[in-house]
Amino acid sequence: MTEKTDREIIVEVLNGNRDFFCLLVRKYERPIFNYIFRMVRSKPDAEDLAQDTFVKAYSALNKYDNSYEFSTWIYRIALNVCRDYFRKKKIFFFSLSSPIGDEEESELEDFIPQDSFHNPDDVLLNQELRLSLEKAIRDLPLKFREVIVLRHLEGLSYDEISTVTGLPVGTVKTYLHRARKKLQDELGELLE
Amino acid sequence: MIRKGFKQFNCLKRVKHQKDLSVYTIEAIDMDRKEEKLIRCLEQLPQMRVPTNFSLQVMDRIDARQRRGYWIGSFKKLAIVSLSLVFLTLVFFSNLPLFPQFNISGLSGYRRVELKFYALSENPKTVAVAGDFSDWNTLQMEKKDNNSWVITLKVKPGKYQYSFIIDGEEWVPDPGSYRRIEDGFGGVNSVLVVNGE
Repeated sequence: MTEKTDREIIVEVLNGNRDFFCLLVRKYERPIFNYIFRMVRSKPDAEDLAQDTFVKAYSALNKYDNSYEFSTWIYRIALNVCRDYFRKKKIFFFSLSSPIGDEEESELEDFIPQDSFHNPDDVLLNQELRLSLEKAIRDLPLKFREVIVLRHLEGLSYDEISTVTGLPVGTVKTYLHRARKKLQDELGELLE
Repeated sequence: MIRKGFKQFNCLKRVKHQKDLSVYTIEAIDMDRKEEKLIRCLEQLPQMRVPTNFSLQVMDRIDARQRRGYWIGSFKKLAIVSLSLVFLTLVFFSNLPLFPQFNISGLSGYRRVELKFYALSENPKTVAVAGDFSDWNTLQMEKKDNNSWVITLKVKPGKYQYSFIIDGEEWVPDPGSYRRIEDGFGGVNSVLVVNGE
């Protein structure tokens, strides 16, 4: 049996087969949860917001525009959910002085060991560098964090990021360049 | 001599510029290398495990939302029906002014009021009326028959004091009205109430 495409699943859901939506959730739960976690840096909040994203997607499924990929659409909802979250909490920047403390350490067991499809010579992501990089991403302004996470952690193309964020492709590239520059400045010698 | 010195200066400047360029080139290469390493590091950041039963929890929330939506929808319908019933009851079974009233007759808020005077014993020759509505100027009334006189007034809603004047001399309150009030001069005025409806 061939696997159903996202569009076929959506048609099934819109025809009243609600349980088909679970297939979409299982397919996208990992990227969406990870994207939101990278944005909000709180596991309970990320879980709640990721669930909220899928519930909103389900409610708005009849308005889904077939010309977009479902993956792009769900990222857009997740991005808006995160923006609402920050608007409500009024935290556009995390404190620069917030330490990488116990909470950060305790999350280590929640990370999935990265598949070793990378070159073995690339074992450059030691603990210190990883934590510094996580902190540097966390300290980025929201608009930079959005594009850097979508591009380099979620692997979206410039066009997809443009659709998700609603920014022109040129602006996306500029933001990415400036975000990477900021990260390099933060990491300094660790990247030597 | 001066020209030679100038040439030497230009030559030195060029060497310095070339040195700068090479420094910039090294820096650019260094930056590229750093950026490349940064990108690889970003791509190697480990992913978080999705909490267990995540998809089931999402489906539960969807169910709960639909149930809540059903109850909210039912409550809205019930509230609309109840309010409609209350409104219709008020319209048909009460005299409350539920609708604004508009006067399109050109009188703009004035009401027509007919005052009648019945002579009970004596038969006066003339009867007039005076009141707040006429600034206490006398208005002659029209004789209808031997013992009754009538006048139609255009007045705005409100409360007015008035009296009849018999044969231009005797001021008497309206014998047909029980609403009376002392006039402050030892006499009594009748009171006319004009409703706003």
